[in-house]
Amino acid sequence: MTAPVRIAQLSCGPEYSGIQKEINDAAAAVGAEIFYPEISLKEMQRDYGAFGLDIRSPDLKLAIARAKALVEGRIETDGVFIATCFRCAEGAIVRNELRRYIVEKSTLPVVSYSFTERTTAGTLLTRMEALTTIARRRALLAREVQEGLTLGVDSGSSTTKAVVMRDNRIIGKGWVPTTEVAKSAEEAIGNALSEAGVKRDEIQAAGATGYGRHLVGSRIKADLIQEELTVNSKGAVYLADHQKGPCTVIDIGGMDNKAITVYDGIPGTFTMGGICAGASGRFLEMTAKRLGVEITELGPLAMKGISRNVPMNSYCIVFGTQSLVNALSGGSAPEDVAAAACHSVAEQVFEQQLQEVEIKEPVIMVGGTSLIEGLVHAMGLLLQTKIVVPPNSQYIGAVGSALLASGFIREKR
Amino acid sequence: MVKVFIYPTTSLILSDLVKRFGHEPLGSALGIRERIQTAGFESPPLQITPEEPKKGLHWAAVEVPSGVRGRMAIMGPQIDAADAAIIINDADLAFGCMGCARTNELLIYLLRTKGMPVLNLIYPTTEEEGIAFVAAIRKFLGSLGGGAP
Amino acid sequence: MKRYIPAYAGTVTVYIFIESTDLTPEDIAVRTYEIAPRAMVKETCFGLQVTGKPEEVDGIVAKIRAFDPAHIFVKDRGFPPGDPRRCRANLGGARPGFHGHEFELSLIGNVSRGLEEDLHPTGVAVPDATHGRRPPLPVERLKEIIEEEESAHG
Repeated sequence: MTAPVRIAQLSCGPEYSGIQKEINDAAAAVGAEIFYPEISLKEMQRDYGAFGLDIRSPDLKLAIARAKALVEGRIETDGVFIATCFRCAEGAIVRNELRRYIVEKSTLPVVSYSFTERTTAGTLLTRMEALTTIARRRALLAREVQEGLTLGVDSGSSTTKAVVMRDNRIIGKGWVPTTEVAKSAEEAIGNALSEAGVKRDEIQAAGATGYGRHLVGSRIKADLIQEELTVNSKGAVYLADHQKGPCTVIDIGGMDNKAITVYDGIPGTFTMGGICAGASGRFLEMTAKRLGVEITELGPLAMKGISRNVPMNSYCIVFGTQSLVNALSGGSAPEDVAAAACHSVAEQVFEQQLQEVEIKEPVIMVGGTSLIEGLVHAMGLLLQTKIVVPPNSQYIGAVGSALLASGFIREKR
Repeated sequence: MVKVFIYPTTSLILSDLVKRFGHEPLGSALGIRERIQTAGFESPPLQITPEEPKKGLHWAAVEVPSGVRGRMAIMGPQIDAADAAIIINDADLAFGCMGCARTNELLIYLLRTKGMPVLNLIYPTTEEEGIAFVAAIRKFLGSLGGGAP
Repeated sequence: MKRYIPAYAGTVTVYIFIESTDLTPEDIAVRTYEIAPRAMVKETCFGLQVTGKPEEVDGIVAKIRAFDPAHIFVKDRGFPPGDPRRCRANLGGARPGFHGHEFELSLIGNVSRGLEEDLHPTGVAVPDATHGRRPPLPVERLKEIIEEEESAHG
């Protein structure tokens, strides 16, 4: 057995919210263990003072001093997990500043999270898995070229994607709406294989990612079953041909959104979430339906409209839908409504998530929603940058999986 | 013997002096002990389950962070049970149960508004202050009646 | 969810902190074993932890205090001794409560002095401690200081 990945916990509140066990369980599920960096009271007083952020809560002071001990290398760790209570302003300030501090002053991977008593190990699993992967599998993540004949599947909440790759080229693709997870995967894989003109048993290695990765991965006997944060980062820099240096990857998904800063193809910090489906691809799907257009037509439509003409705030999908209905019944132009919906989703992601990562250019948008040009345009305006949408961006997870899976071919021989 | 709520609730000094002078100190240790010694579902390290922040709704509204409500679920019942309180007002370095400033602000407010005798102190940083500190506690506890001679 | 079955139900555990110049934690431990052969006694870096039935522990505590009343301090503990959930070896670092004790122990000499005075009054004046934060400098005094400074540098 390999030694567990050691993750230092900097936190205030999880023990009292009844969720410390969930944190420990999520870590254990991905072969990691949580520990509290050991410092003395004197070190605490000195280092908290030196950090310069005056706060009241003693447990947050302790978290600050512990972060300093990690950054200065006095205590060794593989990764850092920062957690404070949801709705605590003091906790949020410390959480953000510590994350920024650790990222700037060290190479440690960091995950920050604000929890409630309803947080479960399941919610934390993807983040914990990404954290341990970055800490443990740097060699795997260093891969820049796809080799041999590999299959990648991305079992997402809205759609299932599959690609077949050979010698660094995509030779077959499949994209189907997700209904039954395993069945949809079979269908997408079947489509990709037939387009590629290869048989299932010719495939040398396979990888699975996305929400359904565990089920699909075990069905197809995948060599790599990996969460979408690291896989999508790899896929994004590969497809955008930006494997060296910094970049930011944004993936607005069907259920949640990811914002990842990447350096040399390896994720640094990331956020994952979205308060409500109002900030996701789901809302755009609904908008298209209300406007009576296909989702593929929504983007071009939005490009013709002016978002300011329609007041819309999709912080909550119910209120967002209400604005949508009001605008249409008030006689707003469909183009303006489409543009407003795109702007609203982009704004939610910008306000809720992009504040938690350092935006490094180029900004690469991936996933199915990156094909909605109105959304990409709105995001570009908010970030004041030209956003890169690589070819095949909707297959990002499948391509990342196929790319990383080729690392297992040699192992098998 | 009367029940005296101690603040900081983790204070070794107050726990000792209240007990030494014949009264019962109420603080975090008793709340944690109760949970550690009660059968239920496993929720290490403190046996505080996600149900506790819901119990905490009795003292703080739902928009108050879960860590505050969970801490209140431990301390709230003890404030309810207390006959008197001793508060050290410069307790800035107590952690864990006392690790959250918002909870602590609420605790002090509840202690002050309950209408019971409250002794306000600060930590003694000199021997002279130590003498005053012990004497004040002795006098306060004596005034409550039923303590040690 | 896994069921939790408590160990040591119905017992109490207390910390005994020994800040004595005459007695070491080992001395106290030896004497405690003598007076309480049935209680569970664990030596630690700061003193002892004693676990047993509430009345038993109360009796033991009273006897231990008598060894050096002004320099032995007792506090309730929620966990039984050596519990893996709170053990430093398992957590990687000290449990949060440890730092709180560390802080109070840095001031405990002053409390000991107060207890000595309480036990054997020497007749020193007892200052008033029943205030909250230290009172601010009276404005008259501040004015004097400013004037002194000004005249010194003027």
